[in-house]
Amino acid sequence: MATRTVCQVLQRRFATSAAAVRAPANEVRGQRNAVFSREQARQRALYPRIEKIEVSMQGPGLDGTLLIMNKGMSTPLSCARHLTEHHLTNSALALVDGEPWSLHQPLTHSCSLTLLTFKDSDPTLVNQAYWRSCAALLGQVLETAFKDDFTVELLNTPEVPVTLGAFCCDVVLDPQLDSWTPSEESLRSLTRGAQQLIHQDLAWEPLEVVPSVALEIFSHSRCKQEEVEQKAAQSPKGTVMLHRCGDHVLLSAGPLVARTGLCSQYEVTAVHSLGRGPWGLQRRAQGLSLPLQLQAHHTVWRKLRQRAEKMVEVPNTEEVNRLSPPDSTPPRTSQ
Amino acid sequence: MRLTLQMLISHGRVARKMGMGPQSRINMLRNILTGLVRHERIETTAARADEVRFYAEKIIDYAKKGDTDEKAMKMASFWLTEKDLVPKLFKVLAPRFETQTNGYTRMARIPNRQNLDRAKMAVLEYKGNPFPPLYPVKKENELTLINQLLKGYREERAQQLAAKP
Repeated sequence: MATRTVCQVLQRRFATSAAAVRAPANEVRGQRNAVFSREQARQRALYPRIEKIEVSMQGPGLDGTLLIMNKGMSTPLSCARHLTEHHLTNSALALVDGEPWSLHQPLTHSCSLTLLTFKDSDPTLVNQAYWRSCAALLGQVLETAFKDDFTVELLNTPEVPVTLGAFCCDVVLDPQLDSWTPSEESLRSLTRGAQQLIHQDLAWEPLEVVPSVALEIFSHSRCKQEEVEQKAAQSPKGTVMLHRCGDHVLLSAGPLVARTGLCSQYEVTAVHSLGRGPWGLQRRAQGLSLPLQLQAHHTVWRKLRQRAEKMVEVPNTEEVNRLSPPDSTPPRTSQ
Repeated sequence: MRLTLQMLISHGRVARKMGMGPQSRINMLRNILTGLVRHERIETTAARADEVRFYAEKIIDYAKKGDTDEKAMKMASFWLTEKDLVPKLFKVLAPRFETQTNGYTRMARIPNRQNLDRAKMAVLEYKGNPFPPLYPVKKENELTLINQLLKGYREERAQQLAAKP
């Protein structure tokens, strides 16, 4: 135990010095990608023999459908491929035995599967996952938007309820950029970056890893490592959830939606500064997005967009718990 | 009967000419109206449906007066050629539309008839009938993403307005 702590402290020291030397951004990205791919390949190799599992589908018009799938290989998306194109394009998240499950995560046991869409009768889970994915996309855009000689450090992304009107992503930019205030133009260029990613229709590949692998992936970033340790301590299984989108590896609090192509309207609305934190000047980037299935008229969009420019006050965890129950209650009257 | 320019210049002749003269027109409309009261949803040509619609609404207005009213009973027994429908009119249809003052029927165009005349066809129905709806029902869901965003927007607006004065 003691040796492990010592090792971790050393590793962290090393990491800070490495960060001080500042490895080039694309090299860091390449390393993260390589470790992610290696771990993914290792997890896939855990099922060398093809074993069959039974997946019973649930949902409107699907009751009693039984699919025979491959263990550790088939994902909920491959189940959707056996159904209709509607299921393939519209489902954003899956429920496996009542647990939210990413569409690209392989199934490991016989289970009951529900495909969730944005237009379900209770889409609260999907909304939350969508908001989380949009924040992840914003982080990805911010990380790639600057030139290579400016470091961008993504902080822990706060979980924001949808009713607050904007998703947000906390970021610490290079000390040289402390006096920079983003103009209308720069927000627009960030929006364009996000829209390019949306156009590429990249998948968010999930991977559940033990903290040591996650620490290796984020070995260049001190604050990410702390976040990994925090998340690992909080989760009951002691593992953390990683996602990869294109060549960007990120740490997420929960499952994300299937692919970036599900977003249709997407706009980065504001970058506020939060004051000095332990890592430097913290900034909060905010954005607003709507999925392809639920697009807004431009007048409505303008109103929502104006609201999304205001700074989002992240509620504490108790407040989130207090806020969330009204969201899950069924609507009072069906008009 | 619609208030249109055409009606203004037609010197009061607002009804379509159909059948073999006025008497025949009335008889035809009576038969169609009887069918409508019996089945509550009928399919006929668009012109006939449009013409009978006026009488179908009017007879509900009369039926609302109650079956003790002499004029209402006279109208019902004239327009319903099958007399077993008279109680249905007073006991079923009149109570159904008690809260409404007009607009008891709904008309929808359907594809033209496929035989030689290719006539325009329509469906005429009394509202509140037990059949499946003619148009797909619009689903309202308060919990979708955009509705949740709009809900937050409305709440914030209400707070701002309350704080202002």
